[in-house]
Amino acid sequence: MITCNALRWGAPGQPLTPALDLTLEKGSLTGIIGANGTGKSSLLKVIAGLQKPLSGKVSMDVPRRGGLSFLPQQQHLDRQFPISLQELVAAGFWGTRHTSEERSQRLQAVLNDWCLSGLEHRPLMALSGGELQRALLARMSLADAPILLLDEPHAALDEDGQALCWQHIHAWHSEGRTLVVVCHDLASVRYHTQQVVQIKNTGCVFGPSKALIRPQPQMQVA
Amino acid sequence: MHLSAHLWLPFHDFVFMRRALIGGLVLACSTAPLGVFLILRRMSLIGDAVAHGILPGAALGFWFAGLSLPALTIGGLGAGLSMAGLAAWITRRTGLREDASLAAIYPISLAAGVLILGLAGKRLDLLHLLFGSALAVDQTTLTGMLWVSGFSLIAMALIYKPLLLDTLDPLFLQTVSCLGPLAHGVFLTLVVLNLVIGFQAIGALMVVGLMMLPAIASRFWSRRLPVLIAVSAVLGCLSVWLGLLLSFYYSLPSGPAIVLVAGAGYLLSVVFGPVHGLLRRPPLLSSQ
Repeated sequence: MITCNALRWGAPGQPLTPALDLTLEKGSLTGIIGANGTGKSSLLKVIAGLQKPLSGKVSMDVPRRGGLSFLPQQQHLDRQFPISLQELVAAGFWGTRHTSEERSQRLQAVLNDWCLSGLEHRPLMALSGGELQRALLARMSLADAPILLLDEPHAALDEDGQALCWQHIHAWHSEGRTLVVVCHDLASVRYHTQQVVQIKNTGCVFGPSKALIRPQPQMQVA
Repeated sequence: MHLSAHLWLPFHDFVFMRRALIGGLVLACSTAPLGVFLILRRMSLIGDAVAHGILPGAALGFWFAGLSLPALTIGGLGAGLSMAGLAAWITRRTGLREDASLAAIYPISLAAGVLILGLAGKRLDLLHLLFGSALAVDQTTLTGMLWVSGFSLIAMALIYKPLLLDTLDPLFLQTVSCLGPLAHGVFLTLVVLNLVIGFQAIGALMVVGLMMLPAIASRFWSRRLPVLIAVSAVLGCLSVWLGLLLSFYYSLPSGPAIVLVAGAGYLLSVVFGPVHGLLRRPPLLSSQ
């Protein structure tokens, strides 16, 4: 469960929205939508404890460290960093206890799940944006955290990758984890999530996805 | 006489050359991982700022205690750490980019150092402080260098994993562990410690060259971090060895000779390095 009490966030002296009161139940799947610059990513960082709120507070039923896993947007990663995909993914084991045999089995399974087998030894520089995104998602899978925060997990993914990502999100959801997903694709959010928070600078709206998001016109591809 | 004898004889015949060599080699090994991580953390300029920052501290130490290793080291360590800290503090409080604060701090430190040396009566040669001399490595300094190198290699091994993650993806490390700031602090302290102990052997400004040039050159040779560190250590050791020989046979100051050899290594890497080098084969289309 994640509770926000009178939460304000943004640059000092310039809160992005009026104070937000919000309770996300344990085991819920929530989408966060809103235009660019309304503070979706910042809200996620505030919940993750990576950014201080301007006022108010966030509380949750598990300790942040170990209880929460955060998928940041990938552009802050240095693509020239001399590390292989496998080493990046294996960082997800941080703080977990496994024997080395279990580790290598889990790592293989997760790489398989995210269609990354065969790319283990590729340096970051030689990965496509989609492959890197799936690697970050795979790293998140290893953490086993009950609360998952995903900032635009579908960015850089092609159609198959997006389907794969939603498939995993539903699997995590059915395991009883609490998920918060920032996403720009309104049609997908409407289809895949139960509830959304729409962030606007006049005030945030929280409600069932189907009620808050109008059916999106289908894109016709000639 | 054989060429191989020329490569070894000065170190066999002269104790000061042997001390300079051993000191330089251990310094090259312990600065290799520091230089590589400085570049990866986009903190390449910190080394320069700290090296300049050491000057006023070392000069003060000299003024009060004369040419003694502990006084120079403590003065340099205090001043170097406070310069790095001051730059970080100004950056955090004002939001200005760190390179600007660092660039502001070098000239202040350099000028202050020169001024204090002037006040101290010029008994310590400025050129010696800036560019060092192989003759300066006495037994005490060498022992100090061995301790610092050993300590910093062990400390780097201990903080390797958190430092790596803090460099690659600090947001991720922050969500899983509180070790990020600690690793950063230990790392910065090691950088200052190595620069301080190195400046007495090859000079405050030249030791930065020994730290950064092999590290930058190594990026042209591999895409794997452990390999980068190893390549950088090997390049650093070669530079120390060849540089000392050059300085011996042609009566050159040792610091600049070592750094120029490292510089030549860097330029060769730029041209011939297989990873980013100018002459590398163009990547195959299929691998793009």
